[in-house]
Amino acid sequence: MRLIIREDPQTASKYIADYIIERIKAFEPSPEKPFVLGLPTGSSPVHVYKFLVQRYKAGDISFRDVVTFNMDEYVGIPRDHPESYHSFMYKHFFSHVDVDPANINILNGNAPDLEAECIAYEEKIKKAGGIELFLGGIGPDGHIAFNEPGSSLKSRTRVKTLAYDTIIANSRFFNNDLTQVPRMALTVGVQTVLDAREVVIIITGAHKALALQKCVEAGVNHMWTLSSLQLHPHPMIVVDEDATLELQVKTVKYFKSIEMVANELGFQQMLPCAAKHAAIVEEIHSPKSPVSPVGKPNGDALMPPKPEVVRAVTPDLVPDRMGSRIPPEATTMLQGIENEDTPFLRMGARVAPLGG
Amino acid sequence: MPSAVTEYESHTPSGITKFTNCLLVKGNQLVKEDLWISSINGKILKSQEVFYEQRAVPDRVLDLGGRIVSPGLIDSQLNGAYGVDFSVIPEDGAASYGKGVLRVNKSLIKTGVTSYLPTLTSQKAEVYHKALPFLGPSGAPRDPSAGSESLGAHCEGPFISPTKNGIHDVSVLRTAPHGILDLEECYGAANLVSPSPIKYITLAPELPGALSCIPALKTRDIRVSIGHSEATYEEARAGMAAGAGMITHLFNAMRPLHHRNPGIFGLLGTASTTLGYVKPYFGIIADGIHLHRTTIKIAWNAHPDGFILVTDAMSLVGLPDGTYDWTNGSRIIKKGPLLTLEGTDGKIAGSSISLIECVTNFLNWSGASVPEALKAVTETPARMLGLHGVKGTLDPGADADIVILELQGTEAGEKKLEVEQVWKFGQKVFEKNEKLGL
Repeated sequence: MRLIIREDPQTASKYIADYIIERIKAFEPSPEKPFVLGLPTGSSPVHVYKFLVQRYKAGDISFRDVVTFNMDEYVGIPRDHPESYHSFMYKHFFSHVDVDPANINILNGNAPDLEAECIAYEEKIKKAGGIELFLGGIGPDGHIAFNEPGSSLKSRTRVKTLAYDTIIANSRFFNNDLTQVPRMALTVGVQTVLDAREVVIIITGAHKALALQKCVEAGVNHMWTLSSLQLHPHPMIVVDEDATLELQVKTVKYFKSIEMVANELGFQQMLPCAAKHAAIVEEIHSPKSPVSPVGKPNGDALMPPKPEVVRAVTPDLVPDRMGSRIPPEATTMLQGIENEDTPFLRMGARVAPLGG
Repeated sequence: MPSAVTEYESHTPSGITKFTNCLLVKGNQLVKEDLWISSINGKILKSQEVFYEQRAVPDRVLDLGGRIVSPGLIDSQLNGAYGVDFSVIPEDGAASYGKGVLRVNKSLIKTGVTSYLPTLTSQKAEVYHKALPFLGPSGAPRDPSAGSESLGAHCEGPFISPTKNGIHDVSVLRTAPHGILDLEECYGAANLVSPSPIKYITLAPELPGALSCIPALKTRDIRVSIGHSEATYEEARAGMAAGAGMITHLFNAMRPLHHRNPGIFGLLGTASTTLGYVKPYFGIIADGIHLHRTTIKIAWNAHPDGFILVTDAMSLVGLPDGTYDWTNGSRIIKKGPLLTLEGTDGKIAGSSISLIECVTNFLNWSGASVPEALKAVTETPARMLGLHGVKGTLDPGADADIVILELQGTEAGEKKLEVEQVWKFGQKVFEKNEKLGL
């Protein structure tokens, strides 16, 4: 996992916007081979869109050959309702750039058959060749799209009822009238997001610090659906300093150092090019390959291997126990205070033997 | 105008123009938003719906560099312009009159006035019979090249008070003892059948028979305005109760406010809690001659939602100083912007100001914001005329009659609004510093 830490929401958003633009450019999209981009709504991504629009207006990027899929949409509010995700996307992004409306996909919360709409959406993603990069945000409870706590980590696009907390939180957009807040939404599933070749998540603000901590330092857990990202081959989380409040200092420093070293060695933490990956795999499997070391009788095989690794292997984070950092002498002083694992005993063992 | 235009090659032209980097006049606010208009249906589009539903994108995008986008201006009282007087039938007949009206339409639109009410001062019956057929609503063909659009005629008189006649010829003034029959005889019965070429009539409610005509006119979809009147406050209230909804050039040609009888102006002061009572719309001539600026501000403060700026401009607009023949044998002296009736002690004879100049004046005199000032020539007159949602607004579905304005600061620290572009039914018909071959 790549965790990029920036000073404030602005710089974090700028990083993501620049990253997405780099990715689209490297992809060299065309009408035949469009770049498929997954998109979120929410307060954190607003800034990302702002920077994307800025760079579009500066002539740095075109979205002509970008196909978009949005994460979610409310059920039962008109498409032109100011709080609909159609409106959000139009207002913050689509109306300012050259994306072709025919390339835009947003779930229809007013479809006569919602289930069919969801199944069709998954098929559309498949037909478009899968999502190349899924941008996302999270809620304070770690949910991604409308996959709230307890959602299956294998879930697909479906109808979801909203958590009561979410309904209350959303009521501020609906005149504080709970009855007007949509109770259901259509959303891509956790697995739909994980199927993307790359997932980029923006998390900003102190109120999301706990969610970030759970998703990065704790294990995979359906109560923090974003934690499923740990199972993704190419996840990236971009956060501001505030969002790191609950992380260990060590974690923060670790990820910062990774980025620093990578920069020193002159490579960005960019996803390796898919075409190169395919070429190498093919070469390995091709029996005629001259570089194949198999059955090479000459003396080269006996020489020590040349160090050809260009990129440092990213070490895995192994969070250790606080206790292991304490020198043994100190440990002995704490004997009795330290919470040792209690050995499991049968209940019967605690009972005094009967009779005598 | 140095606006950047981006043309997009598109599979099928959508006929959509997008204004961007501009400030839209919406209610009392200037909103930084894009505006989509269609040259195909001539309307303002609900861009988001067009985008998602029609999957259409603009053919071209206009970067307006922060300028103001206002609904096209509406002049509710225009007596003539460019040498054409709506109250004068030329000697060579009605056909030539019709041509004159078309000429006014094409010139007027360059001042930002995209629709207006051609106004007839008090005349003999034959003038109405000949003129009115040419003055009715002219927007039906939705032809941008036709210029400014008539929303219907405004008949200012002749059922007005002979003592508040202004410069109207007393000899043609009438009363209506037989009610609506007298009006039919005067304006022509055919002209009072719905749909009528007449949009509204200014009359004095205190005249014999006048009150009974008001409901009869309303059933024919003709609005009634109180003006050129000696009405007391009570008589004016009776006119309102009968169905009148507005006041013609407030303060001018009516009794002044007296603290024991507030007269017609008093209608603006009636408590809004009075049962079933609605405050009237009212016209104001902000040319710096007809009214003191403070008077204008008092009226605006009394009832901002009824405040409408009108020019009351005459055919002499744009002509050199001198003495000109006018109707019914009288003559008007033009000296700069001031028009007076010959042989009187400087009686004001209409104005020769453009509507945008009125807005600029009001802006500087009242401390109103730009959108508030523009409301007085867009949204409010449209509401008065029952055209809200069609004219005078940038809301989706309204006609794409648009004026692009630049707000300039003068050396004296005053503000000035300058018409940069005019669009009619979704097409550009005027650009400052550019001939469009109209």
